[in-house]
Amino acid sequence: MHVRVRGLREWALLLLGAGAGCGRAAPTGLIEVTFPGSVVGAEGTVLRRQLGRFMASHPGIRVVQRETPDAADQRHQLYVQWLNAGASDPDILQLDVVWTPEFAAAGWILPLDRFSPDTAAFFPATLAANRWRDSLFALPWFVDVGMLYWRTDLAAAPPATFDQLDSIAQRARAERGLPYGLVWQGARYEGLVTTFLEYLGGYGGRILDGNRVVVGSGAGLAALTKMEDELYRLGIVPPAALTWHEEETRFAFQNGQAAFMRNWPYAYGLMQDSSSSAVAGRFAVAPMPATADGAPTAALGGSQLAVNRNSEHPEAAWAVIDFLTEPEQMRERAGVVGQFPTRVALYDDPGLAASLGIPPAEARRVIERAVPRPVTPVYTQLSEILQIHLHRALTRQEEPADALAAAQGEMQRLLDRAGLGAGASGATR
Amino acid sequence: MRPAEPAAGLEREEARVAWRLVLPALGTIVLVALFPLMWTLWESVHLHDLRMPWLGRPFVGVDNYLEALRDPRFWSALAHTLLFTVTSVGLELGLGLGLALAMNRGFRGRGVVRAAVLIPWAIPTVVSALLWRFMFDGQTGIANAVLVNLGVLRAPHVWFIHAWSAWVPVILADVWKTTPFVALLLLAGLQNIDPSLYEAARIDGAGAWRQFRYVTLPLLAPAILVALIFRTLDAFRVFDLIYVLTGGGPGTSTEPLALYTFNALLQNLRFGYGSALSVIVFGITFALALLYIRLLGADLVGGKR
Repeated sequence: MHVRVRGLREWALLLLGAGAGCGRAAPTGLIEVTFPGSVVGAEGTVLRRQLGRFMASHPGIRVVQRETPDAADQRHQLYVQWLNAGASDPDILQLDVVWTPEFAAAGWILPLDRFSPDTAAFFPATLAANRWRDSLFALPWFVDVGMLYWRTDLAAAPPATFDQLDSIAQRARAERGLPYGLVWQGARYEGLVTTFLEYLGGYGGRILDGNRVVVGSGAGLAALTKMEDELYRLGIVPPAALTWHEEETRFAFQNGQAAFMRNWPYAYGLMQDSSSSAVAGRFAVAPMPATADGAPTAALGGSQLAVNRNSEHPEAAWAVIDFLTEPEQMRERAGVVGQFPTRVALYDDPGLAASLGIPPAEARRVIERAVPRPVTPVYTQLSEILQIHLHRALTRQEEPADALAAAQGEMQRLLDRAGLGAGASGATR
Repeated sequence: MRPAEPAAGLEREEARVAWRLVLPALGTIVLVALFPLMWTLWESVHLHDLRMPWLGRPFVGVDNYLEALRDPRFWSALAHTLLFTVTSVGLELGLGLGLALAMNRGFRGRGVVRAAVLIPWAIPTVVSALLWRFMFDGQTGIANAVLVNLGVLRAPHVWFIHAWSAWVPVILADVWKTTPFVALLLLAGLQNIDPSLYEAARIDGAGAWRQFRYVTLPLLAPAILVALIFRTLDAFRVFDLIYVLTGGGPGTSTEPLALYTFNALLQNLRFGYGSALSVIVFGITFALALLYIRLLGADLVGGKR
């Protein structure tokens, strides 16, 4: 398989080179670096504009965009095939937040410390997610956080605890006739894990403690039991949510059917449009609720930029990353595609308030609660195990305690098999 | 009284030409069928985890196979595959036979009906899977609307969060899509039966059931077996329909072997383990095919009398 991929890749490169009439090293001494990413829509436009400005200010470097799929899974698969084959192209990689440790442990991306990035300027959690074995491997480009959307016409203030949320939701159902109290992403996919992670943090639990899986702890059980109660005993989360992704929850909340929603920031701008939204001007965002044992928690998502270890021009690649993560570029992105900047100082910038849909102070409150998902090279596989058992518990095929115990056992075995379990030290590069 | 020598030379020459002529075809088969199969076998006895490249690619013997055999998710995927295969193929065969018998009669507009019956078969599986997913949607699906209006259900049912009810749209979608295929295969078989046999049976006093039982069924057996082979092997490798309809959920309770293998190979990029699963699936389908060919071959020989 991987031999064939390498072959195809080389052929493709040859053809590309022949077609474009230029190799990787242009004769004029111009350095060429490649940047994979979306080339369509507003995101493609803003990126093209920024790369154009970069080339104008760096006349020695030419940045070529490589079209890659927008779907995260497909992009990941493509990256893995390229990097596993030792390709030097693309030079820059746009990573999902949970991929950095995987790519770092595999030795596919360069540690960025030698470029001495300005780490003090970024939210600490966004950097923590990009560290592996004490080195920084990617720079956070924009940040995504899970947040609680609440209706300002149904409550005076956002709930601080899960019990408060439940009672407001029940009252909204009883007195206002709302079909649902709370909606979240409950289908068997990554979204379910991010929802669970926020409940778990609220109860003071975590998934990993160093090399040990601890999701089966008392806090884990309390969090999962709460989710199950909200589905069946309290009836505030519709069972249909167990098939829902982000958009189905947004439709329910936007149509005024739910008192609360757990979702990412993208929904905010869309639901302020009164031509399609029944709740425009009647909602706000807050950190997720918590209990006395834990703290409000936001699952951390977003995009990072990293340098391919086999890149022939790492300095030029870094120059592009450095440029794209400058405040000016982040502010522009926030305005055009509504993505949250990763630099703390920008949230005090009046310019950001004008361009971002969400009031920057509200956004910042949530981002400061952000917690990375387990920082491990095998996160995706761990998450798959957890997704299956969480979904079995919530669809009542397994008792919550059994589901978490089984998940913990399987996840620990996976870590051990990967050489990352308890007792493992320098198994990875 | 030709001398033997030149004739033998000619034969040898012809054989040489023949080999040269079939060489491209043989080469193609080796390249596209044998080579990937051997490669998969080779991968299946190695640890090859693209997402854990630090583990290297050591030879691990039958470890990947043992892991599969010890994994409850593998066994439940096998059970789901068998359940799906037996139920959907059984229903398709029964309904397809009924349809074929109906279409075999002379009536006005028979040509139109025969063409119309093929429409579900012509729709790409992914599209029809999406159609059925929308129809069985818990909130807006037509299935719930009809069942609630008829009084069968008191409240809308969320089909995809119960292990048993998630199978309903899956099986229905497959039956809806492939019954026409079975029906047309059987119809072709029916049209090969000599009408004079029915005449003779009638003269002997056989009723409709006896005619069906003792004339139609035995003579239709080869066509039924062909339909069974195609459908069983297809159903055993079911992937796209379930991938789109349920994603294998809730939990993993509708996950067939092909989806589990896809997951190991292409989601988790575990080439060694995924290849071992592929080899197991290949082994089972190959055994099924052999079994059917033996049955079919025996029947054809018997049919010649």
